[in-house]
Parts: sequence; C-alpha cells; structure tokens
Amino acid sequence: MTAAVPAVAPAARRRPGTATVLRWEATKLAAQVRSRALLIGAVVVPIAVVLIFNTQLPPKDTIYGRHIHTSGYAVPLFVLAFAHQWVLPLLAALVAGDIFANEDQHGTWKTILTRSVSRTQIFWAKTLTAVGFNLLVLVLLAASTITTSLLVVGSQPLPGLSGQLIPAGHALPLVIASWATAVAPVLGFTALAILLSVVTRNPTIGVASPVVLGMIMQLVGSLGGLNKARRLLLTTPFETWHGLLTAHPFHAPVTTGVIVSAGWLVVCLAIAYLYLRRRDITGG
Amino acid sequence: MTRTRTLALAIGLAVAASGALTGCGQPDVTKDRLERAIGPTFAGLYVHRADLLGEHGITVRSVGAVTACDRGGPKVPDVGPGPDWICMIHFTDDHGQPQDGKFEVQVRADATYIAGGPSKLIGQATLTDSHGQDVPNPVFEWDGAFDPDH
Amino acid sequence: MSDVLAVNAVNLTKAYGSLTAVNNITVQVARGEVYGVLGPNGAGKTTFLRMLFGLIRPDSGTLEVFGRSWPRHGVNSLSGVAGFIESPKFYPALSGRRNLRLLAGLDGGDAADRVDDVLDMVGLTARQHDKVRGYSFGMRQRLGVASALLRNPRLLVLDEPANGLDPAGIRDMRALVRRLADTGLTVLLSSHDMGEVEQICDNVTIMKAGTVVHHGSIAALRELAPEQAHRISTTDDDRAAELARARGLEVTTADDGLDVRGPQKDVDALIADIVDTGIALRGLTRDETPLEALFFMLTESAPAGPPAGLDAATGGRR
Repeated sequence: MTAAVPAVAPAARRRPGTATVLRWEATKLAAQVRSRALLIGAVVVPIAVVLIFNTQLPPKDTIYGRHIHTSGYAVPLFVLAFAHQWVLPLLAALVAGDIFANEDQHGTWKTILTRSVSRTQIFWAKTLTAVGFNLLVLVLLAASTITTSLLVVGSQPLPGLSGQLIPAGHALPLVIASWATAVAPVLGFTALAILLSVVTRNPTIGVASPVVLGMIMQLVGSLGGLNKARRLLLTTPFETWHGLLTAHPFHAPVTTGVIVSAGWLVVCLAIAYLYLRRRDITGG
Repeated sequence: MTRTRTLALAIGLAVAASGALTGCGQPDVTKDRLERAIGPTFAGLYVHRADLLGEHGITVRSVGAVTACDRGGPKVPDVGPGPDWICMIHFTDDHGQPQDGKFEVQVRADATYIAGGPSKLIGQATLTDSHGQDVPNPVFEWDGAFDPDH
Repeated sequence: MSDVLAVNAVNLTKAYGSLTAVNNITVQVARGEVYGVLGPNGAGKTTFLRMLFGLIRPDSGTLEVFGRSWPRHGVNSLSGVAGFIESPKFYPALSGRRNLRLLAGLDGGDAADRVDDVLDMVGLTARQHDKVRGYSFGMRQRLGVASALLRNPRLLVLDEPANGLDPAGIRDMRALVRRLADTGLTVLLSSHDMGEVEQICDNVTIMKAGTVVHHGSIAALRELAPEQAHRISTTDDDRAAELARARGLEVTTADDGLDVRGPQKDVDALIADIVDTGIALRGLTRDETPLEALFFMLTESAPAGPPAGLDAATGGRR
C-alpha cells in the first residue's frame, strides 16, 4: 500500500446502462462450473440417452415410447415427454434459482449495490441472463436430441396421435414445433425459480423447490379432479404439443399454455422485483 | 420473519386459488371426445396394418369403425381420466366381416390415451409383414390424443 | 454549495421487530473531515452505514449525502461515495482484477481506467490474476479499499477497516487512510477501537445500543476524559495505597496491584514516595489511554457510568 492517492474532483459520472450489467452477469455465469457443465450436459446427455434407449425394450408407459425403434422422429418426442416431468423444470431452475441467491451466499449484494447501478438494473440483468441461458440450454438439448435420434434411429415416417402416419418431410417441423412449445413453460419455471430464490435467499431452495412444485403440479394435474383449472398449472403447457400431432391438429391448448405461462412469468417476476426493491440488505 | 410470512401467504393464495377453481367448468375427458377420437384412429391404424400385411383395398371408409365408450361400468360417470375405460369398436375387418372388439383404454388427464385391442380380432403384438419381417402390430396397442376443447 | 454537508443524517431510526438497531440518531459530517463512528460491536454503526449506502431503508428520519437522498435520487445519491461495510466480499471464482473490472463496469465513467492504479496502490498487482478464493483476509480487505478507490470518491466509508488485519496490515491501513484524508477526501470511519479513531479522526460520534451517547471533536473529548490511569504493584500495596491517597490520587484496588488515577506529576511524586518508604516497586504500567477509559465509561454499563451530562438513553440491546 504505497504510491499516491487519486486526485479528487470526481467528474459527473455517467451511469452504466443495463446492457453493461447484463454483460457482467453473463461473465459471472460463464465463470461458474455449474453453468458450463450444464451447457455441455445439454449436448452430451441426450446423445447418451438416445444410444442407451436404442438398446432397451421400448418404454411403453410414456407417450411415443413404443415407437422409439421404428422412427427417429418418435425419439425426441419421447424424450420431450419424459423430460417435462422433472428434467425441464430442473434445468430451468439450476441457473435461475441460483443467480439471485448466490449473491446472498457470497455476501456480494452489498458489493454490487454500492456502485452506480440500481436494483432495477440488476434485477433485469439477472433475469435476462437466466432467461437467455435457459433458452440456450433448451435449444441445445432439443438440437442434440433430434440430431442424434435421426442419425441413430433414422428418418422413418412418424406415427401420429390419431392413427395417421406423418411423412418424414412433415415430421421434422412438427418435432421442432413440439419442442418449441416447451419454451413458454420453461420460462415460467425460470420466473418461479427466480421468485423462490429471491424470497428465500437460498440457492438450494431456489433450485430444488421449483422442481418439487413442478412434480406436485404434475401429480395434482394427473388426478383429473381439477377439470379446466388444470390449465392454470405451470406443468400443463408442457403437454400441449400432443395437439400438433393429430390428423386434425388443435392449437387452442398451445395458445392457452402460452398465456398461462406468461401469467406465471409476469406474476412471479413482479413479486420478485418488488421484493428485491424493498428488501434490506443486511447480510454479507 | 417477513420472508416466511410472504412465502406462506403466497402458498396459501395458490392453494386457495386452485381449490376455488377445482371442479369449475367442464371436464376435459368425456365419453363423447374419446369416442370421436378412437374410431378414426383405430380405422387409420387398421389400414396401416393391412398395408403391412400386403392387403389391398382396405380404407378408413371400408373399416367404418363406430365406437361406444364406457367408464368403469354403469355406476361410474363416463367422465375423467382413468385406466378403467372400455370402448366397443364395431368395424368391418380385412375379410369384409363385421366385428365387435372390446378395447381397454387408459385415459390420462392430459387428453391422451393408450388403447389395447383383443388379439383374436386384430392379431398379436408383432406381425410378419409382406416382406417377411417381424414388425409391431399398430392396432395391438397404440397412443392417441384428443382435443380437450371440442 | 460548500456548506452542503457530506453526510447529514437526522433522527434515523431502524428497528427489526422488537429490536431497535438504530434509535433516533443524528450524525453530521462536514466536507473534508475525517469522522469516526465509534462504538462496541452491536452499537448500530454498521446499520447506520448500510442506511448511508441505501442497502437498508430507515423506518424514519432523513439521510442526505452531499445533499442527495435515497428516496429522491435513488442510486445517484451514491455518486462520489465509496467504501465497504463489514468485510468486503467478492466473487471467489473470479480473479481480483476481474472483480475490479466488473465493479468498474458497474461504476461507469472512467473507473475501468483506474484498475491498474488502484491495484498498485494497495499492493495487489502481483496477485491480481489469482482467484479471490485464494486470497487471505488481509488481501480481501485491501481489494475492498481498491474497489472503493476505483470510484474516485469524495466520501470514503470504511467499516472497521483494521478488523482481522495483522499488526503490519493495521499499520499500512492507517497510513493509507491518513494519506487519503490528506488529499481532502471526506472519510467516515467506523471502529470499536478508540485508539484507532483518536489517531485519525477530527470528530467522533460514540454509539451504544443503537443510540448516540456523545458527539464532538476529539479535542473536546480529551477535556472530558479522566486522568491517565496507572497500574502499580508493590511489595506492600496497602501502604502504597495510603501514600497515593495522601497525594490526593484516586485509588482502586485490583487483584494484582493498585489502579491510581490523577495528574501525571502527582503519580510521578507517588513513585518517589513509594521508593523512599522502602517499598519495592514491582510493576508500573499505563492502563488504557484517557480517551479509551472515557469510551468504556460511555459505552459500558459499568459501575462508573457515563459522566454527568452525557446521559446515555438506553435502547434495545442487540
């Protein structure tokens, strides 16, 4: 600790924009082992899963499970049906449930909130980082699953859900569209994980509780007593792709799913935002 | 702690909201929707089976499947998901004979179902196709979906 | 503009449930001053500093920094303010340099250009590329100072800067604070150590259990302070005590000797008396400094209690 001290007279400082904060959030995320492992896993794990299932008896209790040896287009649909039970909520929560609470864990809220950026900027930068990351994971997962399936099993026609056979040329856009319907609920789960991690300030709860809530919603939804209220569950939008694969496709559930997911997203983010704005930073 | 209170409040609201909405509106799984879905699906798959066997002239129209579904016998209302649905499918087989098949149907809350047919009418799980290869019998057991809105 | 206070906190109160962390305190710091907030742990110093940085919102009262307040100016009220609260925290997976680059990004302006300078200033240039995970406590403390200097502040807030440092680290830290103060920077320093504050600060606020028990200049405080106390141990403490009382000194008996308090010349004369009487002097030590003694009187509910006129309002104890 030698040398001189900076001159006084601070210039009127230009406040950094949210884009700068976003860039640094992305940098912090990229430095985490967890997020790198997640990206690699999103590419590698589907390859392993497809190869393993290719040697197993078809798992007939999951939709499209019975066709995994007869059509390469059925495999990604089977993986999607399996993944939405808990894998997709978990993937959505792994980063989103941690990105706020790890500042509590490291005691660094005070470090970043005593600079020149507002809590609002930090909130949006973190939220957008989590959303962007989760979309990237979903895209990688889908691309890896679809590519591996077509290479390993082949591009045979896809059995539809009303007895029709979908020719190979039409099957690929439908499979991609089916995976695309997962975007909305994944973003809903991202917001839920953000809310829970902001409120509990605990990364473990932030990651685990959306998965548990997802499984509870799945269970409640499978009971059938809810009727139309079932559509308000955040897990129901994961199933809406079924309608794309019938002879006369129906899209109303997809639309409802997007609206419901958006509702969860808005409510969760609004509560999380207000909570973070008002919160006293006492730790660290 | 304020935090715990907020969380408890949020969970309470969620439970109350879902509770209040329970039973509201029409059920997704109904006899009508299932019947409208299963008949054409069976017909399509039966045509597919005929194609595999090398039988020509079998079309959805010639199969002419008509379906009547019932859940869990006369005492159970014919709505809602469950493994206890039975659908009687009346159709014309590949020899031109009228047939009545009893299909066991497991209906899920997500408006999908698994249907399985009697092997004496539709054959075993595996068929030997016209090229002499063993292939799955499409009508032995199949996945289907129906529109929960119409 | 020059009459705008660097810090103008009026009647601040903050309670957590039944616990009042800060109870109706007023602290005013002029520009260019080196100001100490002194108190034992749990006195509410850190809560006050957190309010200053907008990390905690006060229940009541107003707080302005260079004339700007959090409710009206938001994060702009931190313009020109830098420092750290409790031990500075960084991202362990990033290097020291990368942490500073990140914080410079959040500062905006030309903060990024100063990264090399501030690393050099705190002597971390050689370790700048190591991950903070591997830094010692002292290195993190220095990185904390560096991160504050990045902002080129007008007001530097340091919360217990010597905490956890080894003696050499404490010496360096004090030297740095003094150098910074000499440049005209306003420094607000919190400490539980009167010795630290009396060497550096012009004015102090002394807190206890969330309330202000005294404020004023160090010079004024010295006037209020009791005389220097000495611990004397002899072969015949009873006789020595009589001699001390004869000299008009205040005497208290301790386990291992006598505590005598009074003007230095009287104490000097007492030593001569003891030796003349043929009693052997086995030990003579200066106890806490007068200001330290005053500090303990103000902040401990010891039998001595605060001097008259400095009544401590009792608040909730943390």
